[in-house]
Amino acid sequence: MNGWTGNFLRVNLSSKSAKKEAYSEEFAKKWVGGRGFAVKILYDEVKPGTDPLGPDNKFIVALGPIAGIPAPNTGKAVVAAKSPLTGFYGDGNLGTRVSEQLRKAGYDALIVEGKADRPTMLYIEDDKVEFLPADEVWGNGTYATNDWIYGKYGKGAGVLNIGQGGENLNRYSVVRSLEGRAGGRPGMGAVMGSKLLKAVVVKGSRAIPQADPQGMKTLGHGDLKKVGQIDKESGWSIQGTTGVLSFCNEVAGLPVRNFRKTHHPDAWKLDGERLNNLRIATYGCPNCTMRCGITIHDHEGREAELDYENIGLLGSNLEIFDFPQVGSLNYLCDEYGIDTMSAGCTLSFYADAIDHGAVSGDFKFGDAERAKELLRMAAFRDGKLGNLLADGSRRMAREFGHGSEAYAMQVKGLEVAAYNCKFIPGQALAFGVAPIGAHHREAWIITFEIKFTTRESYGPEKAAKVIELQRIRGGMFESIVACRFPWIELGWGIENYPKYFNAVTGLNWTVDDFWKVGDRIYSMIKLNFLREFPNVTREADYPPAVWFDPANVDTEGPIAGKVLEVEKYDGLLQHYYDQRGYDKRGIPTKATLEKLDLSQEAAVAEKFAKLA
Amino acid sequence: MKIHVKMIGPLIYDVGFSEKDLEIPERTTAEMLMELISVSKQRPKIVTRNGKAVAPHEELAEGDRIAVSPIYSGG
Repeated sequence: MNGWTGNFLRVNLSSKSAKKEAYSEEFAKKWVGGRGFAVKILYDEVKPGTDPLGPDNKFIVALGPIAGIPAPNTGKAVVAAKSPLTGFYGDGNLGTRVSEQLRKAGYDALIVEGKADRPTMLYIEDDKVEFLPADEVWGNGTYATNDWIYGKYGKGAGVLNIGQGGENLNRYSVVRSLEGRAGGRPGMGAVMGSKLLKAVVVKGSRAIPQADPQGMKTLGHGDLKKVGQIDKESGWSIQGTTGVLSFCNEVAGLPVRNFRKTHHPDAWKLDGERLNNLRIATYGCPNCTMRCGITIHDHEGREAELDYENIGLLGSNLEIFDFPQVGSLNYLCDEYGIDTMSAGCTLSFYADAIDHGAVSGDFKFGDAERAKELLRMAAFRDGKLGNLLADGSRRMAREFGHGSEAYAMQVKGLEVAAYNCKFIPGQALAFGVAPIGAHHREAWIITFEIKFTTRESYGPEKAAKVIELQRIRGGMFESIVACRFPWIELGWGIENYPKYFNAVTGLNWTVDDFWKVGDRIYSMIKLNFLREFPNVTREADYPPAVWFDPANVDTEGPIAGKVLEVEKYDGLLQHYYDQRGYDKRGIPTKATLEKLDLSQEAAVAEKFAKLA
Repeated sequence: MKIHVKMIGPLIYDVGFSEKDLEIPERTTAEMLMELISVSKQRPKIVTRNGKAVAPHEELAEGDRIAVSPIYSGG
């Protein structure tokens, strides 16, 4: 088999055993890799009702056929497990040398089972697998842990690790790698922590099997230069993603004050131009052509990395319009290994709940020093409040009551990304139907919606755009495993990716071939959701209720007097279901599943809930 | 007439300013403004007026706030 190594590495931490498992070419073509592999393995191997933080959950690192091969932005890996935040399939991607090293070691995925009897570092070097004690760094943050690993194995090793957030089972703790960033927003760090797995270190020395290695080398290296040149000419990396903040502020799409407001006169203090003036370095993932991580000195003088999402959610959303302070909050999240986005939404929810009398407390919007303390409490589960904060906004709202769930900014338990959809119906749909919860990766249609459609529209064209982007972003990029940025930000043609895929596999796929794979993956996530929540209704695909609340309208600005309308949103949702071939609950029908070659998986799902 | 123009992201470095008031002739369209401030036609972009998209042929008005942004894909 070319392109794929044809092997998974299965490791059991309880028995300290490891085995190489071959998989078929048919499996490879059906699921491609990354998210496709992860969702299939978890569906087959983790029973519904399994405790996400128990030994029967499985932690997966999955790669795709172009992962780790030099070509534009291929240095990413997917991490996945049953999520302790949402209660069903969860995943994320992050930049890491593991993508190259695990493939060179001979594996396309790592499946971690069981639970270690002490803090453990899993060391993989080709056929060698070692279960090494990690007591020395248990309790340390991700920076110190990563440095400890580099000290032992050098900076060329692939590293994944967790901080105190993962150790203490914070439900939005992430997996970190200093070679890139963080991934696995729905608590993948906590799944590692529950297994006492502090870190994974990988070194590989073998060639990745490729149909046309010389052709791929020429193509990949040539395109790395071309995309790098496009980035240089366009100036994209000067600000990276941080220009998004000004755009969102202009069009009333910025999260401010737990999404109560959509723009703010002080937003300029957090814009990309100002960040660029404070910049001390930029960071990217392996094989990156357009570095999106910009570092500044934070309030305490440390080097802190920022991009749009964390500025939006730890900055404007908390009404903290001071870059060094936002840098400090981001640094703490990275050090503790907790998701900046869910952390920002959870803190903003807490301040809002206090404002609205749902709970008494001493945290106010704009209070950066208290926010730092709350992040520490969330990471360490310090006291009752720390425990609540560590569980995310939905669980906090259920505890507080008084209608506060309406303004817990989450869908299916996962906090929303930094786009205020108070009156952006298509993007609200994108959050609503994002299969793992309100993740920003699946579809981002705000520019399309504002430039090419009527903002007030709830028409089928918006549902179609969401599906188109889900297929590309959540389907193709997450299964071949590469970063989407060259395509969408620099206009690097989508047709280039099948070229890479074909050069390594020897197949002759076009972009259309990936759409079916993407649809299959989305349907599998839906079946996974259904098995866990057999009484699901379509309201699970609704965005936070506050976006429908007339009492929450803007009093001035581009969307003054407007909020989403429930009936119209429901109509837009139905357009999405109709185009997807889903039933009125948002679950794929039997006919849809059959078309996607998922009859066997459908039969398994029907043991738990009826399919239409 | 006077308008306010805000450039976003790398467009700032293309045109040499981040935001400023501009005196422009009556009946200036959005497209004409892009030429006036030297924004490349080849650069993919979205132009908004007071927070709403404006088409290239639309005439601008006194007091408009114009923002010119690259096409982003989120964070």
